Amino acid sequence: MKEKKRNYPFVAIVGQEKMKLALILNIINPLLSGVLIRGEKGTAKSTAVRALAEILPEIEVISRSPFVLDPDKEYEQYLAICAALGVEAGPADALERNTQKVQVIELPVGATEDRVAGTLDLEHALQKGEKRVEPGLLAHAHRGVLYVDEVNLLDDHVVDILLDAAAMGVNTIEREGISFSHPARFTLVGTMNPEEGELRPQLLDRFGLCVNIRGIDSVQERVAIMERRVRFDEDPATFCDRWQEESDRLVTRITMAMELYNEVEVRRELLHDIAQTCLEVGIDGHRGDIIILKTARTLAAWHNRTEVQAADIKEAADLALPHRIRRQPLMDIPDSMESYRAAGTAL
Amino acid sequence: MSFFPFAAVVGQQELKLALLMAVVNPAVGGVLIRGEKGIAKSTAVRGLVDLLPEITVNHGCRFSCRPENRELWCVDCLATKDEPSTGHRKVRLVNLPLNATEDRVAGGIDFSATVERGKPLFQTGLLAEVHRGILYIDEVNLLDDHIVDLILDAASSGMNRVEREGISFCHPCRFSLIGTMNPEEGELRPQLLDRFGLCVEAKGNADLDERVLLLMRREQFDRDPCSFITRFSSRNDTIRQRIRAARAILSRVRMPAGMRVFIGELCRENNVAGHRADLVMEQAARTMAALDGDDEVTNNHILRVAPMVLIHRSREGRPPPPPPPPPPEDPGKPENTTDQAQNNSGQEDFPETDGRNAPQGQDADSQNDRQQTRREQEGAGRKDKDRPEQDGQEQAAQEAEAAGTVGNQEDQLFDIGPTFSVKKITMAKDRVVRRGRGRRSRSMVSQKQGRYSRAASFGLAGDIALDATIRAAAPFQAERSGSLAVRLEPCDFRYKIREKRIGNLLLFMVDGSGSMAARGRMAASKGAIMSLLLDAYQKRDKVAMVTFRRDRAEINLPVTCSVELAGRLLAEMKVGGRTPLSAGLIKGYELMRNYLLREPGGRPIVIILTDGKANVSMGEEKPVDEMLRLATAMAREERAKYIVVDTEEEGPVTFDLSGKLAAALAADYFKIKDIQAEELVHIVRETQ
Repeated sequence: MKEKKRNYPFVAIVGQEKMKLALILNIINPLLSGVLIRGEKGTAKSTAVRALAEILPEIEVISRSPFVLDPDKEYEQYLAICAALGVEAGPADALERNTQKVQVIELPVGATEDRVAGTLDLEHALQKGEKRVEPGLLAHAHRGVLYVDEVNLLDDHVVDILLDAAAMGVNTIEREGISFSHPARFTLVGTMNPEEGELRPQLLDRFGLCVNIRGIDSVQERVAIMERRVRFDEDPATFCDRWQEESDRLVTRITMAMELYNEVEVRRELLHDIAQTCLEVGIDGHRGDIIILKTARTLAAWHNRTEVQAADIKEAADLALPHRIRRQPLMDIPDSMESYRAAGTAL
Repeated sequence: MSFFPFAAVVGQQELKLALLMAVVNPAVGGVLIRGEKGIAKSTAVRGLVDLLPEITVNHGCRFSCRPENRELWCVDCLATKDEPSTGHRKVRLVNLPLNATEDRVAGGIDFSATVERGKPLFQTGLLAEVHRGILYIDEVNLLDDHIVDLILDAASSGMNRVEREGISFCHPCRFSLIGTMNPEEGELRPQLLDRFGLCVEAKGNADLDERVLLLMRREQFDRDPCSFITRFSSRNDTIRQRIRAARAILSRVRMPAGMRVFIGELCRENNVAGHRADLVMEQAARTMAALDGDDEVTNNHILRVAPMVLIHRSREGRPPPPPPPPPPEDPGKPENTTDQAQNNSGQEDFPETDGRNAPQGQDADSQNDRQQTRREQEGAGRKDKDRPEQDGQEQAAQEAEAAGTVGNQEDQLFDIGPTFSVKKITMAKDRVVRRGRGRRSRSMVSQKQGRYSRAASFGLAGDIALDATIRAAAPFQAERSGSLAVRLEPCDFRYKIREKRIGNLLLFMVDGSGSMAARGRMAASKGAIMSLLLDAYQKRDKVAMVTFRRDRAEINLPVTCSVELAGRLLAEMKVGGRTPLSAGLIKGYELMRNYLLREPGGRPIVIILTDGKANVSMGEEKPVDEMLRLATAMAREERAKYIVVDTEEEGPVTFDLSGKLAAALAADYFKIKDIQAEELVHIVRETQ
């Protein structure tokens, strides 16, 4: 058997701590609804996202169904889907289940909307003369990570589908003679180079967090990057094995944080702080508040605490607010809240 | 699937009230919710599902016929039922996804059944399902034109007529529309806008305590949806009760004649187009009374609903002031005349959308009540916006001086001149999108991209719509035979018709020579370019910029969507040196040709700002002759539209070289003094 292609290990990525943190937070808490990574070319954006596959946790799914459904919480949806497909669904207690890793589904920029949303199963239609749905990428991405490289270059109508699905957590297909819907809650991870144009506001808002990254200035770190990269290219297997232990440690820490998350408490005055911050900088709507709170709780869990501290809120705001600030036309997305405030006072 | 309970939505009273009214009385005509992102627009609508009342239908009828109204029964019921057989079901909220295709919206052939039976059988679409219910469209402003047409057609006639794929079918179809939209993403077509009986402008909550409450509720819901829903179930019950009671007394609510006069006056004062507003307001007021448990409409009911009815119809566009005049009173005449005047000027450009979504001005206004600090910021922002105009003039004067003293070979940097009101640009956006759609259809033929919205028996070879093809072939399967279940013949083939919004390319060719430094011309030009950039920003156009000065032309900005980058480059653009105009033309032409190779359907708009005084040539010819020869060659590219802006100074001796350039290019020609920068924007708009 051919040896499977190894990805560059997540833990071996030099620097870019903010990006790594944002990705890890999203693994711990899928409700953060994704991260947008903005930065120039060659800053390990894609490497980091691809490397996620190794450190993602496992989930239980209903076997032999492409829809990645949760056997405990989504049995109802399973029944509905089976009914629509004309397949027989077993009773709830005799459901076949297996565990699999959370998946990273890549959405290529040139993807057509029928492949994204799902479409008519043509083979089946021609051979049997019956219509049946062929699930698209959104079905596979349910409970997983949907990764869009160059998300700002995505066709408008594909973006519309993403918006629709992200808003509802459900993908509804009403096309080509097919009427069908299935759950589609995914963590949206996008990378983009802002020089090629910005995102549509509505899509921008769907990303829970946003990080701006640049190339690293420190010579030492640059050397480290080169060394590691060369060693990886020469012998990926050995390289990955060497980092395996650290990878495992990260996975353990993530798993612990996931368990701890539900116990994390927030004091009421900190909620006030969140709302106050959002009001001050002026953002559209309330998604910013909600995401800050969730991010802060996730941060606390990540640091193995059960109480949110003021510093968590500050850090969370840096991740969740910059892309939500109401900008003047042609204004750039600030790196952090501090740089935004500094720019504000400089004017 | 568990939705956030309607009763738990914090604040947004207007929004909730409008939705309740739409549920209580379908004659109100639906609700459009406009507002920024993340303010529970969709959450509220989805929460509504739980509150919908029951209606009686003919048992098992797929069109939900009313049992009591035999004349309106569908063919199925007429054929199979002698007696009405009453069944109950909840009012449906049907979700129309943006990627829906025509056959699923209007209905089409059911190919499984058709193959089996050998005769065309109709499969109902969403429009059948939604009869007597609510059609919900999230992000309604992004819906394809073609689907919008289907819906408008059905909504205005109350019938859905299907004449396609060998099927002729007609069924009743009455529904209320609920749509949500974020105006940042573009405006709605006026016809569709008018279909919405009520319109609510929703905003984020500015109250600190309410924001905290909202945060807590959301967090509790995410932690444990079930117990959260249980906690709010009694409050949801109360609302359900209120809806039921209101529906019961709605038909008994009386509308005193005096109140009708009041409604008429309100509508007239707000300059609404047509009479739909009056009718909707009457229904809305009665519904409001019913919701309050009153059996007679009063002033208060009308005043409560008036903003929702008028906001998207009033030609002023602004939220009408909570109208104070009690019924019998003379409407303020002087105001009216000014309204009229403004009205006339704006009439051709769908006045309803006028200004309401100006992203800066109006939005800023509406946010003003938020916070003192915020207000100050905005205030400062607005001052900034006003200032450039004076600044520009001062600057122009300074620059004129500067031009006198500074030699031509020195590089100079000019600030960006005044840009103009965002309000006008917004109007343009609206209009351009519509024209853009018209052009779209031509460009889509050559490409296999875009959204598949319907199928036809002609189209781009290779882009076969198999679903439609199979539907077309289905009725004949009994006569054909083969190893496959479905056998296709060439006559069955159907092709995809796709829709795609294409942005334009705005290519700026800017003369950066020393002569441009005089009299603030550069500042004015930069101002004009900047305004166009702002416009492009909203429409997601592509921009590119070529400048020529000293001995060569440069591509400062390759074709990009990043208007931010363009803006930064523009600010940094320097002036000085001689004028290599032909090099500039060639550079620009190359850029444009490469773009057209990639986007054969594109329509680049080339804007050349120069005084035409070419004094550097590339070959042996005289600079001016070379320039004109190149221009003539460029004019042969029919897809491009050229605009020449002459920056030559008025004086006793003028060369009018730009005029000649424009003639050679077959371009529109304007003098810089004629073009208030605003006019340049208009020119571009017209050519689009």
